[in-house]
Amino acid sequence: MTLDWGVVWQNRDALIKGTATTILLTFATMAIALPCGAVVAVLRLYAWKPIRGLATAYVEFFRNLPLILVVYWAFYVLPILTGFGVSPLLTGLAALALNVTAYNAETFRAGINSIRRGQVEAAMALGMSRVQALRRVVIPQALRRILPVLASTWVSLFKDTSLVSVIAVTELAYVSMQVRAQTFRVLEMLTAMAIIYWLLGYPQAKLVDWIQRRYAVTE
Amino acid sequence: MIAENNSGGRAKGTGATIIRYRGVVKRYGAFTALDGVFLNVHAGEVVCLIGPSGSGKSTLLRCTNGLESIEGGDIEFEGTMLPRDERALRAVRQRMGMVFQSFELFPHLTAQQNVSEGPRTVLQMNQADANQRAAALLDKVGLADKAPNYPSALSGGQQQRVAIARALAMNPDVMLFDEPTSALDPETIGEVLSVMKKLADEGMTMVVVTHEMSFARRVGDWVAVFDAGRIVEQGPPRQIFDAPTTERTRDFLSHLGWSG
Repeated sequence: MTLDWGVVWQNRDALIKGTATTILLTFATMAIALPCGAVVAVLRLYAWKPIRGLATAYVEFFRNLPLILVVYWAFYVLPILTGFGVSPLLTGLAALALNVTAYNAETFRAGINSIRRGQVEAAMALGMSRVQALRRVVIPQALRRILPVLASTWVSLFKDTSLVSVIAVTELAYVSMQVRAQTFRVLEMLTAMAIIYWLLGYPQAKLVDWIQRRYAVTE
Repeated sequence: MIAENNSGGRAKGTGATIIRYRGVVKRYGAFTALDGVFLNVHAGEVVCLIGPSGSGKSTLLRCTNGLESIEGGDIEFEGTMLPRDERALRAVRQRMGMVFQSFELFPHLTAQQNVSEGPRTVLQMNQADANQRAAALLDKVGLADKAPNYPSALSGGQQQRVAIARALAMNPDVMLFDEPTSALDPETIGEVLSVMKKLADEGMTMVVVTHEMSFARRVGDWVAVFDAGRIVEQGPPRQIFDAPTTERTRDFLSHLGWSG
């Protein structure tokens, strides 16, 4: 078996574009899933009961479905719901955002719940409203606690973006598979893909480790 | 020195009544935590609430600033019934400082920021004035040099002194202390009690839930003994500790090994 690594170099433009899409998907998903997750968490904690139930149902639904199923589902259902064709990239983004929002909501909720009741009471004893207590006392502390979890979610998300390749989003995994299919250079392309994912993922994992050390809670 | 003031009835009782508890009832499900409590707190007085754990002292304190709601009777603060609605209650809480057993300092803020947080957020004070007030109060509790420290870098006694400064930063009319020394190492209890004594000497009105009998005796102007959700006896410390009139008070004090 002869290996031809030239195939990787020849397709560098496509690979670079794919990598850029992967990174874009990760950032865009988090940009949606962070604020939405916070909103869902607050709804789940403080909203009127039926709304709270809906938020809980949302979280439990998407947290317990395989992401790849959500991706397929979005691909077939979104056009029906919206009435027009949605690009694969937007479809993939929607699926990822639905999934990660559910995870983030759970993370935020756990973070807020981990702040003991006495902290809110101390804030309220000063004359703060519940909203002020949440904004000035609970959320800043909760954010510190959940930062390591959010960072882990980030790294998982970075790798999970590869799942949207099944609906032909031209991100790194899809591009690699395309080249593989056209050139039959299976080993070369899979290796190249692995190396790119690893080179990008490893520093992120190290960053997570650092964040976990940096923001360890001391009380 | 203050104890001498109490030779007669209620020496400082000439001040206006600031807090009036009238038949306060508090229930948690089937459990009655407060079963008709009557007590007056006068301006400038130090009223100590003593009694066994679970007898309702802390509950009464928490009802005073509306952290807990009451089911019966009423609580009057500065001549007005304690409001039920949140907004009005907030205005009342601003005038009552509260110090908790477990300090409850904000761990993400420095000592200085803990003290300036109330003025900043609640009173909308500008940063410079709030900082100045915080610095003055930290100095008052003897912790000027700890201003930039986070609570995790402070001892228990230091944390509680910061908590006292934090409560004082709102310029309250009354200070409520909920077992302020119960979570402290014995060697740091003294520094907190002496800050409280200083406040009392300055004429601060204080309601103190405490197990420190010597503090209640030395600093208190009025002592209320709780048992099973009721006040079984109240009077000047001299009466409570030297000549208790009820069996329950005598029992409680003898359990503590108090040899009045």
